Amino acid sequence: MSEHREAHEAGKRDAQPLAEAPPKEVQRAQEERLLKIWETPGGWRYWSSVNNSDIGVWYTATAFVFFLFAGVLALLMRIQLAVPDNDFLSAEVYNQAFTVHGSVMMFLFAIPIFEAIAVLLLPQMLGARDLPFPRLSAFGFWCYLLGGIFLCGAIFFDAAPRGGWFMYPPLTSKYQTDIGADIWLLGFSFIEVAAIAAAVEMIVGTLKCRPPGMRINLIPLYAWYVLVAASMMLFAFPPLITGSMLLEIERAFGWPFFDPAGGGDPLLWQHLFWLFGHPEVYVVFLPSVALIAMIVPTFSRTPIVGYGWVVLSAVGTGFLSFGLWVHHMFTTGLPGISLGLFSAASQAVAIPTGVQIFCFIATLAAGRVVRSVPMLFALGSLMIFVLGGLTGVMVALVPFDFQAHDSFFIVGHLHYVMIGGVIFPMLAGLYYFYPLFDGKKLSDRLGKIAFWLTFIGFNITFMPMHLAGLRGMPRRVFTYPADAGLNTLNLISTVGAFILAAGIAVVVWDVIRLKQKQPYSEMNPWGAGTLEWLQEMPGKPWGMRSIPEIDSCYPLWDQPNLQRDVDEGRFYLPDAEEGLRETLVTSVIDAVPQQCARLPGSSFIPMIAAFSLGGFFILGTYHWWWPAVSSLLLAVAVFCYWLWTGTARTPEKDEKYVGLGLTLPIYVSGPASISWWSVFITMLADLTAFISLVFGYFFFWTIHDDFPPQPSPGPGVFWPTLGGGMLLAAWALTVFARRWNRSGNSAAFYTGLLTSIVLAAAGSAALVAGPWLTGLDPKSHVYPATVWVLVLWTVCHVAVGIIMQLYCLARKLAGQMTARRDVEIVNVTLYWHFTALTAGITVAVIAGFPLVD
Amino acid sequence: MSQTAEQHQSLWLLTASPSIWAAHFVLCYASAAIWCEKFAGLGGSLTAVRLAIVVYSVVALTGIGIVGWIGCGRHRFGDAELPHNADTPEDRHRFLGFATLLLSALSGVAVLFVSLVALFFGECY
Amino acid sequence: MTHHLRELCRGIEPPSQRDSGAKRAEVALPGSAVALLPDGHSRIQSALNPAGVEAAGIENLFWWMVAGTTVVWLGVMALTWHSVRTHPESFNRRREAFIIVGCGAILPTVVLSILLVFGLSALPGLVAPAPSGSLKVVVSGEMWWWRVRYEPAEGQPIILANEIHLPVGEPVQFLLESDNVIHSFWIPSLAGKMDLIPGRTTRLAVTPTKTGLFRGVCAEYCGTSHALMKFDVVVEEKEEFNRWLAHQATPAAPPDNPLAQRGEKQFLANGCGACHTVRGTNAAGVVGPDLTHLGSRLSIAAASWPNDSAHLRRWIADSDKIKPGAYMPKFDMLRSDDVNAMAVYLKGLK
Repeated sequence: MSEHREAHEAGKRDAQPLAEAPPKEVQRAQEERLLKIWETPGGWRYWSSVNNSDIGVWYTATAFVFFLFAGVLALLMRIQLAVPDNDFLSAEVYNQAFTVHGSVMMFLFAIPIFEAIAVLLLPQMLGARDLPFPRLSAFGFWCYLLGGIFLCGAIFFDAAPRGGWFMYPPLTSKYQTDIGADIWLLGFSFIEVAAIAAAVEMIVGTLKCRPPGMRINLIPLYAWYVLVAASMMLFAFPPLITGSMLLEIERAFGWPFFDPAGGGDPLLWQHLFWLFGHPEVYVVFLPSVALIAMIVPTFSRTPIVGYGWVVLSAVGTGFLSFGLWVHHMFTTGLPGISLGLFSAASQAVAIPTGVQIFCFIATLAAGRVVRSVPMLFALGSLMIFVLGGLTGVMVALVPFDFQAHDSFFIVGHLHYVMIGGVIFPMLAGLYYFYPLFDGKKLSDRLGKIAFWLTFIGFNITFMPMHLAGLRGMPRRVFTYPADAGLNTLNLISTVGAFILAAGIAVVVWDVIRLKQKQPYSEMNPWGAGTLEWLQEMPGKPWGMRSIPEIDSCYPLWDQPNLQRDVDEGRFYLPDAEEGLRETLVTSVIDAVPQQCARLPGSSFIPMIAAFSLGGFFILGTYHWWWPAVSSLLLAVAVFCYWLWTGTARTPEKDEKYVGLGLTLPIYVSGPASISWWSVFITMLADLTAFISLVFGYFFFWTIHDDFPPQPSPGPGVFWPTLGGGMLLAAWALTVFARRWNRSGNSAAFYTGLLTSIVLAAAGSAALVAGPWLTGLDPKSHVYPATVWVLVLWTVCHVAVGIIMQLYCLARKLAGQMTARRDVEIVNVTLYWHFTALTAGITVAVIAGFPLVD
Repeated sequence: MSQTAEQHQSLWLLTASPSIWAAHFVLCYASAAIWCEKFAGLGGSLTAVRLAIVVYSVVALTGIGIVGWIGCGRHRFGDAELPHNADTPEDRHRFLGFATLLLSALSGVAVLFVSLVALFFGECY
Repeated sequence: MTHHLRELCRGIEPPSQRDSGAKRAEVALPGSAVALLPDGHSRIQSALNPAGVEAAGIENLFWWMVAGTTVVWLGVMALTWHSVRTHPESFNRRREAFIIVGCGAILPTVVLSILLVFGLSALPGLVAPAPSGSLKVVVSGEMWWWRVRYEPAEGQPIILANEIHLPVGEPVQFLLESDNVIHSFWIPSLAGKMDLIPGRTTRLAVTPTKTGLFRGVCAEYCGTSHALMKFDVVVEEKEEFNRWLAHQATPAAPPDNPLAQRGEKQFLANGCGACHTVRGTNAAGVVGPDLTHLGSRLSIAAASWPNDSAHLRRWIADSDKIKPGAYMPKFDMLRSDDVNAMAVYLKGLK
């Protein structure tokens, strides 16, 4: 370590902290100003807070409550299965229970807890005051809370979904016509949209909001994992959103996407679902193992060994996990060669997954290991997860999977992976990071008791399930016969489940017990090396007193006096002179400071936006279309108000002195701006959803001998081409309007953009005219349904594009957007690039492909 | 020092090899699925697909090899050893090179794994 | 050691019983009587008691992998234990390379390559169809029972339900269909599973090697009574099988005692024939299971209950209790002696 520091200091000098601290009274005044602007609002306004330290705690607590709820459902199921031919739960209730258990654990616990922990920790680890879009995090939280309550509440009205967490049609389309499946489809789509918003924030936060000098080879491993997991979400979630949309359209309007009677295919759902479902396992696993990657070095008292290998592991897993989805479909009768391809990829993914574990082991070997509760959970996680991984390799082998698939063997395997790979690391993280948000440690004694209860209970519960599965016990059965050799195994599992639950209860008690008498923990109680442990106990709302210059992966170990220099305000941004929330934006690779970004403060707008958007989904579930559409329009209005008042605000000056001889611009636009990145990343996810639709078209083409079916007329060539042409012209004019704005040619800007709007509207109409005039009936067959859904997808995007263009016009008219301050039109142009691509592909597919086929 | 200046392409290069793997994988899958479903039918011969997989694999491995070689060059830039964890542009450059190299190795193994199917399957069943 | 482990996992049962086909009597009594028996009698639906070529191959692969998994897991744990205990001074570049590159990268790659070759080489044989001319059985998944159609080389197809007989030692080709939801056809003792997907026909080739009674289950969640969608599989000698099939092809014999005759009248008068077929009578419905030889079956309600008159009575009068969500309405408005007569009639359809 130290020789590297010397080497680098000889080469190039980074900014050094102020040699002398500012006078005490200056420090006090700075702290007062910082506290004032970052203070959490009191009273009922507390719920308007957007600070990551508040949102993060709400988020974590909510996720944990959902976890307990789903855990109770699991206990009820275990009671039902304790003895054969039991009637503790009826078949209907049992089916709802396992559906809700799986769905809640995945969508309302595993993914949100990752986001929750990242919201809480990421800014701290990266020395940022907050995440780049605090109100977006708040919006995501409120969406999640509303959607989660809506979903879980349904079980109390006996209206919960009961199609399994995988929701396979036709069971969920034609055979469960009650509201349960709609609740699932719309409720989770709503939450997934919010999850993607969170992913965008994580990516931008990791890439652009690091402290100066934290080069990409120095970022904490947690941030690498979060970056990979969030990027995976961009490509994993959209296929499910597309699939949910298609299934809901089939349920509500009878377009036969998954109905063989109309040329559809239930297997398309399975492809789309598992295209999401498998990467999703890694999306929740990676951020959890990331916690281990932070804990192991701390308690080994040494930097991680094999940093580059761990990065390989995270990035490699991220990619390979997209080649596994068919291993959930090994028994659907696909050709053997296809199964072989996915089996091969499933084996390959074990390599990077294993590498990181050996890096942790090497780190243990390189240091002197300190015993602690977090370390206990980390080692327990290792023992369980390695076994889960090994059974995973077993089921990746197609022949064995023919037997194990959809049996209790898989239930055992997946819980070894998810509890070993997610819950145990999470508990390790809870004991490790708890002082950061309460200022006090959890009890070591209770922690040890909890560990042994959960560890032993877990193994007693899930180990016998492997055997039960191979003895012929299928999954998702509400009962089993007494003569199949399953009685003892199931009874053992049930006993184990209660031991496991007792362990979790101890953890819950440890968290909620009053700790008034317990003194605050000392700073950095575990002697860790990463930035989040600079925090005072208890923490201050500003996150970081001043933003340090970073020279090492473990700055608290390697940078002398860092704590003092940060706390005395000797680094960047020690003050809030203008009374505004601020943080630094830096470059992606070397973290060179680029901007002093102004962050928005507390507001109820995110909550109102979430509730009005949620209204659309929830009212839509009940097919109350007019209230639903009104709610959607309200949401659009709220979003416009939010954007108008809260974003791209004109600063009072161009630049700001941030300390240590550095002056940074306050307003930037284009790729240097975090908003440009967020639009770009969001549109990648949007494009993925669209590509999933296009995949659907070609999937149907593959399975049908004639697609488009003869003699059914397609949408023709004329109208789609005309529409596509006009939309491309609208796009080109938007690009020119951006240029005209920048060159100060306002008249051309207004004319160009207005013409573009007219062209966009006309182009949409022409696109719709194709299938409309040729009389394509989407209910009649999957071909017209697919054409219509592609057209409508494009038209909706154009409609949003038009709203954006109108917004730009209004901003320009109001003088908020100028030739230099043009972030609105730059980002809208970026949106239009993607919309033009969408329109082009749509036209090529619906009008062009039938010509070449 | 311009070689080690901050360039976005060095970050994108990190993802090049796994992206090649992904493209290879999708091509193999699409070729096999479309061939069996549209052309060969149940029990049809897979010879064409097997040949295609071999060709895809050679191309993919070449691409991955080139990316890995560039990564290796960056990893060995100057005379520093692992771990590349100093706060210098040079070490950051080496680190990205090293990670690129490792990802290329992994992607290469994954491509080989996937291409193994060409050895075992003769018909569309 | 492996042998003992195998025995332990299969369930503690005397080896003498393992290969006998004479367990039908006791297994034909699912339900209360068997609940008292210990877990040991577990061979009827266990993948670890293979009675078919496919299941035996997979079981063999499984035990190899269990051995490998145990070695790897113990190895990783030993390495972890050692790393926690060891002094940092003894850690150096070579040890780092040994752990990360050797144990973490190279070793798994080699092991996984071998395993993959092993798995891929076994796969074509498992997905290949049975040789042409093999016995062909079409199985359709219903909610929640199994429609079985034998398609002999000559003669009419024979439609049955919930019970499959197979000749030992001969490959059989299952063709699997569904016109409702997705099901999965799984006889753990004979082979792996295969889904039944609406709009598609999937295939499964099975070669039983031991005679005896086995149970099949539905392995894909298919709605309310998924757990109760099972079927009996009887593997028997070829001659016995031929006799059975020939008998199943015949129409039902007319009832030969007054009670059963009354039962038949009730059966026809109450509209049972709208859904069920009893060949040789007016009952020709195709919605529910064919009942022509119901009395010859080992169990009722998709292998959920023993085939005796008590359970038949309960099934007729209170179908929803026995099988939640069942599409068959409950005939609880009938007089109990009428129900009894119907049960006697049905039981007599040998």
